[in-house]
Amino acid sequence: MAVTSDPASGSLRRDDGLLRRIVAHRADYAYVLPALVVMMVVIAYPIWFTIDMSFYKTPASLQLRDRTFVGWKNYETILTAPAFWSVTLNTVIWTLASTFFAFLLGLGAALSLHREFAGRAVLRAILLIPYVISAVAASYLWKWLYHSDFGVIGALSVQWGFTDKPINFLDNIHTALPSLIVVNIWREFSFAMIMLMAGLQTVPEQLLRAAQVDGANAWQRFWHVTAPHLKGVSMVTVLLLMVANFNSFIVPYLMTGGGPAGASDIWITHIYQIAFGRQNWGLASAYSVILFIVMMCLGYFYVQALTRGDKGRPE
Amino acid sequence: MSGRVDGWRWAGRVFLVLILLFTAVPMVWMLLTSIKSQFAAMQYPPQWWPKEPTLQNYTKLLDPTNPVGNDFLRYMWNSFYVSLATTVLGVAVAVPAAYAFSRFRFPGRTFLFFAVLLRNMFPAVVFLMPLFILMRWLGLVGTHGSLILTYLTFGLPLSIWLLKGFYDNIPIQLEQAARIDGATRFQAFLLIVMPLSVPGILATSIFSFIGAWNEYVYAATFLNRQDQLTLPVGIQRFFAEFATDWPGLMAATFLMSVPVVVLFLVLQRYFVRALTEGAVKS
Amino acid sequence: MAKVALENVVKTYGPVTAVGDVSFTVQDGEFVALVGPSGCGKTTTLNLIAGLIPMSGGNIRIGDKLVNDLDPKDRDIAMVFQNYALYPNKTVAKNLAFPLQMRRLSKDEILRKVTETARVLDITHLLERKPRELSGGQQQRVALGRALVRDPRAFLMDEPLSNLDAKLRVQMRTELKRFHQDLKATIIYVTHDQLEAVTMADKMAVMNGGTLQQYDSPKNVFDHPVNTFVASFVGSPAMSLVPLRRVVDGDTVALAGNGWQMPLSPANARKALGAKSDKLILGARHSTIALHDTPHAGTVPGRVYTVEPTGDVTFVQVHVDGAIVIASLAPDVPVRSDTNVWLGFDQTRMHLFDGETQMALTQT
Repeated sequence: MAVTSDPASGSLRRDDGLLRRIVAHRADYAYVLPALVVMMVVIAYPIWFTIDMSFYKTPASLQLRDRTFVGWKNYETILTAPAFWSVTLNTVIWTLASTFFAFLLGLGAALSLHREFAGRAVLRAILLIPYVISAVAASYLWKWLYHSDFGVIGALSVQWGFTDKPINFLDNIHTALPSLIVVNIWREFSFAMIMLMAGLQTVPEQLLRAAQVDGANAWQRFWHVTAPHLKGVSMVTVLLLMVANFNSFIVPYLMTGGGPAGASDIWITHIYQIAFGRQNWGLASAYSVILFIVMMCLGYFYVQALTRGDKGRPE
Repeated sequence: MSGRVDGWRWAGRVFLVLILLFTAVPMVWMLLTSIKSQFAAMQYPPQWWPKEPTLQNYTKLLDPTNPVGNDFLRYMWNSFYVSLATTVLGVAVAVPAAYAFSRFRFPGRTFLFFAVLLRNMFPAVVFLMPLFILMRWLGLVGTHGSLILTYLTFGLPLSIWLLKGFYDNIPIQLEQAARIDGATRFQAFLLIVMPLSVPGILATSIFSFIGAWNEYVYAATFLNRQDQLTLPVGIQRFFAEFATDWPGLMAATFLMSVPVVVLFLVLQRYFVRALTEGAVKS
Repeated sequence: MAKVALENVVKTYGPVTAVGDVSFTVQDGEFVALVGPSGCGKTTTLNLIAGLIPMSGGNIRIGDKLVNDLDPKDRDIAMVFQNYALYPNKTVAKNLAFPLQMRRLSKDEILRKVTETARVLDITHLLERKPRELSGGQQQRVALGRALVRDPRAFLMDEPLSNLDAKLRVQMRTELKRFHQDLKATIIYVTHDQLEAVTMADKMAVMNGGTLQQYDSPKNVFDHPVNTFVASFVGSPAMSLVPLRRVVDGDTVALAGNGWQMPLSPANARKALGAKSDKLILGARHSTIALHDTPHAGTVPGRVYTVEPTGDVTFVQVHVDGAIVIASLAPDVPVRSDTNVWLGFDQTRMHLFDGETQMALTQT
């Protein structure tokens, strides 16, 4: 709407004052209230509880009246523990490698599926199944594939002459983490594929034709026309994958439990182990707070990428 | 130049074949294992094709008179009941919220919206302990109510976000026309907007249902009685102490996946639209 | 039908003023066009009358009733939207029935009114179709039908013809005008197309930057624009405006450009003396300008820029003192680009504007 330059605008009233605006919109809040109440109870309370708890030493029974205040000691314990850095390194490798390969496979699949051909819809549906089934199902399935004695992967690698005897994938400190990453990629790549396929549809056909007329080859067309159009959706996809991987618990927990000797232990499984294995609730809470902070940073970029150009309608 | 284009197309086809193998072979092996006997599955080198295929693993799981089958069917019913309740309640809460986010500008709207989105970022495990204490305080530990309430909040941010995208695509003039035609604001929403948002509600429902059906961490913590367990937790019981019944576990895993895969295949269009909604601006 | 009156209506969004202090009265049975460029506040004004958005200040009366705080449903008005806003999940018949259902009419009466309206608009054969199965023109008729099906106190129309193709638009324009005459309906009609306003409306309200510039009959707006904005907005091609200087030498007052002067008639001289400074703007419509190929007394030199034949009239764009002046010629008069011409302005039909305030100068 245009701003008037009319000198008569002295007579105009301006809505001002936050309180007055809230009162004016009071009916609108009724729509959000149910969602808000549920979220407050189940989200705000746990966050506050975790932050509070991170400054206490608590008994294993979780009886809160028996806790003692210890200040920043829990944080000190975490950051000075030798395990912290190896777990952090695992978390970084796990998150980045899973994200990178899932995105790469997803991009390849999206580009290959972009052109119409018979059976495309069926193929897309099959590729999406691992994303739809539960992580629990995927974990048991791959645990069986990796089985030390009767696993099909071990048997195949012997049959094709890669190794002399079946590898114990999940019980070897060198192969445990990469094996889990493969499972994660298997589950997630089709998410990237779907996002990027949707992104590819926004690439204007005319631009590709114009580039072809200008003499660009397939690679140049991808790099100069397609890739820039995929930038936004790629950012959202990568961030979502990173968040999901950073937070993924079921696959490592059910398949290796963080072992052997912590070789596949990441932050989430480590926190679970401290809380529910060692029953050290205060320490686990402090760990969670550190994780919150990391997530908030990722969350900031997530929101930035998501809300590009999102403007609500004026009313 | 056409030779080079064909080169790229061939590369694409080869890639598709490879990725199809990567995706499908594990699932095919799951099916093949599930129709073997325990003895046939535990062989080295493996039987590539079952010599004596049998459906005994499936009949056992689906037979209510068999103790294993009885448990399995009960878990399945629990999963179904919890997922359905989560979905219905989730939609009931998300619809008005998403509508408000799409239509109104009110103080705190942006803040609320970001809060909703950020909820997506926090992992289940760190919420486990405080929520357990909360549920204990509410007296919900050991009930399906604790799971429904938890799944509800987990699903809400995504549901609201998805539905908001659908409401954004419904022209505001339709509601204005309805209000001029004599409808109240609420009638305009109920009579005009709601019927148009059915695809959005479907898409959102698939997501909440699949999410609830597949959830493991809270179900493993909040439930304590055998007969209450949901499927993802319940099938752990197939790990006997010394020898896992792998064919039985694969059959159970397959049966557990059937409902979500069928739901996904039937409503694929909505599922895909929901996944990409908001992330792609065309 | 009823009259609609706006008194000092204001709409602000935070610090932004969308509509500033607008007042006008639409008499019972009058067709008023709200015109202006996009973003001028005309649609916002219409939404304020409809009650779709809350006012920040002022009063709106429909009939004798103050409707400031009434819901749209209680204002008893009908509205036709630019994108038609037909309910996509309802058939045409259900679309027409909806306003009646909301008013709790009996089933028989609804059926009777829907059938009658469909007959009048010649859409009976479309009644069972869904909106997406209709062409743009058919959707337009249904939207009109939904407004006509009940007897509202006023019709509000938000650019109802702008989504139609050019030929259909002209046809619907005629029908709308006829419809207004037959029903003696009070109509407030928003458009950015001044031609629609001029051809259909009894009165036009020209808006710019959220304020009302002029409210008068199309003829008066055309003949006596109050400022340069209205002058250049109404009429096609637009009125030519040339910024010049005022030169006073004894009793004669003249307009001066680069190297030329045009003495003004006594009436125009009095107008010119009313200006706040020596900066004046000369305004002239194409039909009031004569072109000569040799200088005459009182003519102004210019150079032909382009020549646009349209068939029955040829428009000639001429550079005069850095501004473009559009004149018209009979199609058989030969003119060529980049030749010198001399323009004769009809002093009885030309306009003078104050170069500072942009307002029209009138005899005082």
